[in-house]
Amino acid sequence: MGEKRMKILIAKPGLDGHDRGAKVIALALKEAGMEVVYSGLHKTIDQIVNMAIQEDVDAIGLSIMSGAHIPLTRKLIEKLKERGITDKKIFVGGVIPSRDIPVLEEMGVHGVFPGGTPIEEVIRRIKEILGN
Amino acid sequence: MDEPERLAERILEGDEVTAAKVISMIENGDSVGFEVLSFIFPKTGLSFRIGVTGSPGAGKSTIIDRLAVSYANMGRKVGIIAIDPTSIRTGGTLFGDRIRLKSAERIGGVFIRSMAHRGFQGGIAKAAFGAQCILEALGKEIIIVESVGVGQTELDISLISDVVITVFTPDFGDEIQLMKAGLLDVGDILVINKMDLPDAQKRATDFEMYLATFGRVDWHPPIVKLSARRGEGIEDLVKRIEEKRLDGETNRDEKIRRLILSLIKEEISKKVESLLLRDEIESLVLEVKEKKRDPYSLSREMVSRILKEDHRWERRE
Repeated sequence: MGEKRMKILIAKPGLDGHDRGAKVIALALKEAGMEVVYSGLHKTIDQIVNMAIQEDVDAIGLSIMSGAHIPLTRKLIEKLKERGITDKKIFVGGVIPSRDIPVLEEMGVHGVFPGGTPIEEVIRRIKEILGN
Repeated sequence: MDEPERLAERILEGDEVTAAKVISMIENGDSVGFEVLSFIFPKTGLSFRIGVTGSPGAGKSTIIDRLAVSYANMGRKVGIIAIDPTSIRTGGTLFGDRIRLKSAERIGGVFIRSMAHRGFQGGIAKAAFGAQCILEALGKEIIIVESVGVGQTELDISLISDVVITVFTPDFGDEIQLMKAGLLDVGDILVINKMDLPDAQKRATDFEMYLATFGRVDWHPPIVKLSARRGEGIEDLVKRIEEKRLDGETNRDEKIRRLILSLIKEEISKKVESLLLRDEIESLVLEVKEKKRDPYSLSREMVSRILKEDHRWERRE
């Protein structure tokens, strides 16, 4: 006990049933020394916000393969604001067309990782953003 | 950052965000967290603390999920602390218990917190005990701690639990394994899960006979056979737990005694590490390597030196 750690929630919101990508990222982040909470499938945004609060994570990573990343991310950011949570970084990964990246970043997402982003890059950028 | 007393007030008012942050402080060894605890601790003592241990894969989380639902149906507020091992190699942890706590997540009023063991032998009781107090301050009446159950960690869990449930599966037949793992030493209630597996009935009977013959001489803990996956036998388990709870015989004095000793030992051990200078240790390593000194007499001498040189303790403050 004693060293500060980076803790992240990898969450699967909504009806999306594809979890392999999320599990790969969760494992990779653990191998990189982080504490990773994996939410399991089919979580509502409310459940995800509750998890993020209870686990006191530094970041929330949404893994979305269903194409619904814009409405889901918007909802997450709204709910976090409602609960007065402003200090958690937000990452979104999955099936994300490049034209949506600026839209997500505009909403307040700190890092967008479309499928195909090399894992080392995902880890590097997440650690960089959490380190600050 | 608010003062510790103010943080304690917020937690007692039910503020989950603050509660979670203070649990993190305790995990990190941040003294503010322990100051908050000093305000909270006098208000605790009424919650019932259940410890659940057993080998990985025995079904602890699934059982806890069912227990949480049962207690919620009885109108009780539940808190769950799930302890997972930290990778010694990478320092990271992958918390997977929440996946199996699906029903608990859906009930209102259940606070679930995953904690990393962080490789801290014996020290997990310190953080877990603190988290239990915080969950109680939030209003949770039933607090369940799930721990990785191999080696020495089960002993930690008995320090901080009113009742310990040890979970086995019917394929745990190897007697030597049972004896080595020490899992039999700790449980107040033994559970045989996965009774839905083929041949489970026969193997469970073998296990019960083994326990009757080779188990602890003093007393035989009740054995509950269930299938958490099918939700069968859970009412039996709840009944046994409630028997223990109403019995009131939880050995609190002895546990408090052992907890205090364990915390003191941990503080001293941390202190010693901070007192030994790196070059001192390296010269000791050299002496042992060159067979000039044996490690036993060498360490005894270091301890006397450390204890005698009072100024060293002060200098490191």
